[in-house]
Amino acid sequence: MRYKSQKIAREYFLAALALFLLQVIFGILGSIKYVWGYDPLLNVIPFNVARAIHINLLVFWLLLALMGATYYMVADEIKTEIYSVKLARLQLAILLVSGVTAIVGYLFRWSFGMPFLEQPTAIKLAIVVAALIFLANVALTMFTNHHTLTRTTATLLGGMVMLSVMFLFGIPFMPNLSTQYYFWWWVIHLWVEGAWELIAASLVGWALIKVTGVSRQRIEGWVFAEVCLVLLTGIIGTGHHYYWIGTPQYWLWWGAIFSAAEPIPIMMMLVDTVRHMIKARTLPIVNTLGLAWLGASGFVHFMGAGVWGFGQTFPQINRWTHGTQITASHGHFAFWGAYGMLAIALMYIILPEISGHNTEQGSKLGFTAFVSLNFSMIFLVMALLIAGIVQVYLQRVMGMDFLEAQNYLRIWFEVRLVTGCIFLVGTVLVLWDLFRLARTLPAGECAPELDPEAVPVA
Amino acid sequence: MTFVIDTTLADGAKSCIMPSTRTILWATTLLSALVFLGMTVDSLRKMGARTHADQLSAQVVEGKWVWQHYDCNDCHTILGIGGYYAPDVTKSYAIRGDAWLRQFLKEPGKMYPTGRQMPNFHLAEAQIDSLVAYLKWVSEVDTNGWPPAPQGAARAESPGTKIFLAQHCNTCHSIRGSGGTLAPDLSREGSRQTKDWILVQINDPRSHKPDSIMPSFKRLPDSDKEDLADYLASLK
Repeated sequence: MRYKSQKIAREYFLAALALFLLQVIFGILGSIKYVWGYDPLLNVIPFNVARAIHINLLVFWLLLALMGATYYMVADEIKTEIYSVKLARLQLAILLVSGVTAIVGYLFRWSFGMPFLEQPTAIKLAIVVAALIFLANVALTMFTNHHTLTRTTATLLGGMVMLSVMFLFGIPFMPNLSTQYYFWWWVIHLWVEGAWELIAASLVGWALIKVTGVSRQRIEGWVFAEVCLVLLTGIIGTGHHYYWIGTPQYWLWWGAIFSAAEPIPIMMMLVDTVRHMIKARTLPIVNTLGLAWLGASGFVHFMGAGVWGFGQTFPQINRWTHGTQITASHGHFAFWGAYGMLAIALMYIILPEISGHNTEQGSKLGFTAFVSLNFSMIFLVMALLIAGIVQVYLQRVMGMDFLEAQNYLRIWFEVRLVTGCIFLVGTVLVLWDLFRLARTLPAGECAPELDPEAVPVA
Repeated sequence: MTFVIDTTLADGAKSCIMPSTRTILWATTLLSALVFLGMTVDSLRKMGARTHADQLSAQVVEGKWVWQHYDCNDCHTILGIGGYYAPDVTKSYAIRGDAWLRQFLKEPGKMYPTGRQMPNFHLAEAQIDSLVAYLKWVSEVDTNGWPPAPQGAARAESPGTKIFLAQHCNTCHSIRGSGGTLAPDLSREGSRQTKDWILVQINDPRSHKPDSIMPSFKRLPDSDKEDLADYLASLK
């Protein structure tokens, strides 16, 4: 850590981790409801409320983690203090208060009622204010005093601007459901396949420069190509959500062709990450656990978003699988790999730098968390995938009634509940490990600062 | 100054992306965004007719708000989007019909006494009217043929069989080896009881056996009860 103001990242991370734990707890509540014959909480926290809270917490904790990492990374790249720590703190407070208000509000049926965007309009506006403060703070850090912008930071800023602009399309109430969903996908799809990918690509690029010591020029070249391909395939690829919602038929073609190419840039990111990680072996000091999370994130991102998404992107298949547990499987796998794991990787890289911990070995606790989280998620995703395939067969192909078919899926929902509980254990462990790393060490015990750009790798 | 992005391939060979490649990447990305915007304009123009936007009456729009206010979409899917916990409602109006939907919305617990439940939101009469109007409008949206018609044997079943399964009668009763054991086997119900007796049993189980634990299905629409009784009476 070079600049005092970078410490703000730690506050964002700790808040994010607390929300992550809550997210997992509400996820388990939802999966219990899939197994219970009779729901004793039916009139207290019905399934829709549990799901809304589960997903809102997901979005909130990931945003907080990515924003915290952005503050840290921008200061690091531009080589300056953050424009205003006070603004960053104000922004964090607004986000936390509005997030918690939204979640409590759902319990009292205060909801906008569009999935993922259930926040009532007043809260959405507060989120917009927080986003504007964030963009202003980051932009002022980048552009005051004529600091030189790196390509990685420019991409990051681009992603953050796109994220904020797209969110606006989720605010209005539209009388026509088809139009509402048309623009709802501008938030959901163009976030995860556009803005968030830009943010992820630039943060991964930055982390690779930092952790592996591979030259900046080389990594930034890749980031640029990946980002262009993400946008090229991802923007028109939105069309794979426009097959069945009252949109014209030509989307069946456009959506299929462009979204089928979406895994290509993700594969590039994976290949790129692995290649650079191999180089890291020659470094004197390696952040083992940070690298493990980064590499695994690349892999699960490719599997969950790329392969699982590709598996049902063609209309001939999507026609049968649309709106089943297969989508739930894809959602869990993709979000965990692309963004959840990335957020944790960034915390493992950034937190020790703030607090001065030695990162070379990685703790046993950290590795146990790594293994339990990832294996339980893989089994969870498999259980949902099998449930989804059985569901498609019974309900869509054979024509069995929805609830009747659900009875046959129960065993897989039970497997999902068990894997979810193991995931909860992993979450507690990773929180424990990261909170340990977040505690500032006294000056005498600090590990020496790692500056990979001073140690060029041939 | 020239922009040269230096990438080294795994085998160590050098490849250079020259300015032209960089420009091409930028240009195609921008072009794709423009194409997308153009298609959006065209789609929005065509969606009016495909969704019968002229039938979006104040009542239908009010129904959409009822749907959103109660956050229905986080359990149910609509147009295949939403929670996967409860049935897709895109074609509910076409499949279940007006009367069924109204009764269900009034007292969902009584329609499905066992298994996964929907909370009773105690909707006002006017809210139910608008929600049903909204579901009717949704069922008429041109969805390019989604959801597909089932291919399997289940589609040939009698309406009574479907009600038997939809009401989860088989949680307690079994027919020909499939179903629960809590209540009598119904495999040969038609040879034991008349259709009228069965109808009374559906409406008021305790009239036959005062300590019966079977819930009343009185709330089902008459046509559904008729179909169910016909089916059970046919089992001989």
